[in-house]
Amino acid sequence: MTFEIDRRNLLQMLGLAAVSGSVLSQATIAFAADTDNVTIGWPSDVPSWDPNLRFVPDAQPLFKMVFDQPLDQSPDLKLIANLITKWELKPDGLSMPFEIRSDVKFHNGDPMTMEDFKYTFVDRIKSGLKLDIANSWRTLTDIEILSPTSGVMKFSAPTPTAPQWLAFLGSYLVPKKYVESVGPEEFAKKPVGTGPYKLVDYQMNSRIVLERNDDYFGTKPKIKRVTIDIIKDPSARTAAIQSGQVDLTVNIPVREAERLGKTEGLTAEINPFTRLILLQMRNDMGFTDKAVRLAAHHAIDKAALSKAFYGGAAVPLSIPATPGTPGYLPDYKFAYDPELSKKLLADAGYTADKPATFKLAATNGQFPSDFDIARALVQMWQKVGLKVELEQIEYSKYFELNRGGKLPEATLYSFDNATGDPEIFSGYLMNPKMPFGAWKGQEIGDKILKLFVEPVYEKRIAGYKAVAQEAVETGANIPILQSVQTLVRKKSLNYVKYGNAWVLGSTMSWS
Amino acid sequence: MRMFATIAKLLVKRVLTAIPILLIVSALLFCILRILPVDPAAMSLPPNATVQEVEAMRTEMGLNLPLYQQYGIWLNKLFHGDIGRSIHFRQDVTSLIGSTLPATIELAVIAMGVATVFGLAGGLFLFYVRGTRAEAVMDFLSILLLSLPEFLWSLFLLLIFGVFFEVLPFTGRLSPGFERPVVTGFLLLDSLITGNISTFLNALEHMILPCLALGIALSPSLMRVLRSSLLDAYQDDYIQQARLRGLSEKRILIRHGLKNAILPTLSLMGVQFGFLFGGTLLVEIIYSYPGMGNLMVDAIRNADLPIIQGAGLTYCIAVLVISIVVDSLYLILNPKLRVR
Repeated sequence: MTFEIDRRNLLQMLGLAAVSGSVLSQATIAFAADTDNVTIGWPSDVPSWDPNLRFVPDAQPLFKMVFDQPLDQSPDLKLIANLITKWELKPDGLSMPFEIRSDVKFHNGDPMTMEDFKYTFVDRIKSGLKLDIANSWRTLTDIEILSPTSGVMKFSAPTPTAPQWLAFLGSYLVPKKYVESVGPEEFAKKPVGTGPYKLVDYQMNSRIVLERNDDYFGTKPKIKRVTIDIIKDPSARTAAIQSGQVDLTVNIPVREAERLGKTEGLTAEINPFTRLILLQMRNDMGFTDKAVRLAAHHAIDKAALSKAFYGGAAVPLSIPATPGTPGYLPDYKFAYDPELSKKLLADAGYTADKPATFKLAATNGQFPSDFDIARALVQMWQKVGLKVELEQIEYSKYFELNRGGKLPEATLYSFDNATGDPEIFSGYLMNPKMPFGAWKGQEIGDKILKLFVEPVYEKRIAGYKAVAQEAVETGANIPILQSVQTLVRKKSLNYVKYGNAWVLGSTMSWS
Repeated sequence: MRMFATIAKLLVKRVLTAIPILLIVSALLFCILRILPVDPAAMSLPPNATVQEVEAMRTEMGLNLPLYQQYGIWLNKLFHGDIGRSIHFRQDVTSLIGSTLPATIELAVIAMGVATVFGLAGGLFLFYVRGTRAEAVMDFLSILLLSLPEFLWSLFLLLIFGVFFEVLPFTGRLSPGFERPVVTGFLLLDSLITGNISTFLNALEHMILPCLALGIALSPSLMRVLRSSLLDAYQDDYIQQARLRGLSEKRILIRHGLKNAILPTLSLMGVQFGFLFGGTLLVEIIYSYPGMGNLMVDAIRNADLPIIQGAGLTYCIAVLVISIVVDSLYLILNPKLRVR
């Protein structure tokens, strides 16, 4: 008897759920069909709505909708004017005069002034707040205000990538008057920017709702309201786009993207962007011998890896830079040649009885198919006679292991650089004073350190090209692939594709 | 009166016992997290920080001090109500936990309700069909249910009701456009307090799938324990005596069998409620549910030790509170324990 009653209750509950759910789903579909709205399924949240606080590459498109950067990037990653209209890094790299727009207003109606620039990039950093932008602007000593719309950035050391950093991680303009009046904590709760959208609702790790800023100085967005659902699980993002709960989503498994691309009403893209997949190399232990490092590189069939794990869309790389960026060498190819690998090993005295051995570390889930790629590498190396032991590490442990000199000979790694500038590719990866690279060879390190203060653009780029090629040819670095972003959207939703994987609601429209 | 006195005595005793337990757990948590080869100093700085800057941050965070000194400093701050500041979010851990805990409690309580309904109903049905052919089938089904973890249930239910039938929402706590009242942080409660019925119903709809996933995963063990407790209870003389007194089978089951058999099930529910808190981690991620599990996953990914410690302690406190509640219920339901 008890069972009968429970079963009835259960059926009633399920019935209620189904009816109410169906009402809701109709409401959702009606909402999605509205051309004034778009819902995006995004894989991660902002760490805080204070955009200067933390460097999180995936959060940049979210910040860019609410805040503006002094300079911007075009879809093909060229630096373009934004809040700053003119800029010129002086030949010594120690100062940069610039001019700003006079027609920009913050969301609260306050006009943007040179004081806001000085506050964001100098005073706020000096106030002792722990802001990540303090690290990118460590050489900036002052911004001298010459007029309401012109000023000069002054540096303590040549800062050749100052313009690039004005359009990179964390460099967003914040309103001095508002932040000082409400304090940093309140600012992070109720952010005010100059961006194309205003934040109207935010629930951490769940949803961001943005409404068009009708006073925006730039091109007005076509979509009035952008809702960003934070969906961290790739399967749930796949389900959300398939069921129509979101209109666009990114970073779902390649196979799922290919499947959904064939679904009626949806279209899928696999877009290469400015992220490298590479092997961080040591110059000691099993990799002391250059021949072993080069043999390891020649044994990697990068095209096969791309085909197996990224549907062939990930571009095989011979240099630690992505195609189309200033440091890329389009004509340089490092050959896939297993026979040459075997020869190099034989010449160096390695045999089947006495094989060259080393360890490879890889993350599992830090970027798509990372551990699978590592397993494939081990197999490729085995074919040429390299004996490799694979170990899994957490990304958060990488820096600790590297700092303590405990990384194995090779580590599979991915590295983002939305600017495309070679300083942030080869420079960061091989600067011995930075925590990224495992390579501690002084010869390459010294060349990189010189390029960090080289103010002449052409000379700097040529220097990076040369040092990147040298790094590959000495086995200091093994670039593997250019990473890809999968994107699935409703066919009637248009967006502008950026070379650095930015997906911006402000560029979207319905057709 | 006697019952309340006994419960009060138990509460005092359990609270006193909880203090050393919390101290031990906090010490274990602290030590384990510090032994792990993660570098919170590097994680707290931007990628372009130099080695020197990472070293300076290590000193500032006290990571170069001996472990016992680090623990002493942390404990002292804890006694002053300061759990620490998140490395990743740069916010007080207390406020981060405070803003996410209500969502997780709401999820866990309703999921436990689902597990209780399914578990008790299933247990009674298993008992009801004992000795029949249906028993073997039900036995098999309950084992099958038992072998599926909650995250698989999450994906399964999401695909069935979210994608295939498209009848239930599966992202977040509320659909876009619904007002989100903030009074206590418990959305269901807050929407009722503010009289916002549409928000209440919408929030409830969003909870159906995650709660079912968590509840279904827990229910098979409840079913099986209740069934075996009932089988044991029916071996006792008082059941036979009740039958001789002419009581109906239904009355015997409800008033005598179930009342005695429910106690082990209740114990299990207490234990499972603790596990349920842990189980919300993946379920919250799959359903984009903004609770403490979601926060915890972020913290683990970013080696955010202050949050991991704070959340770990919160889980421990939750388990201790649940065990006190269960023990109190035991005293209410079982008079024999009150005599002792």
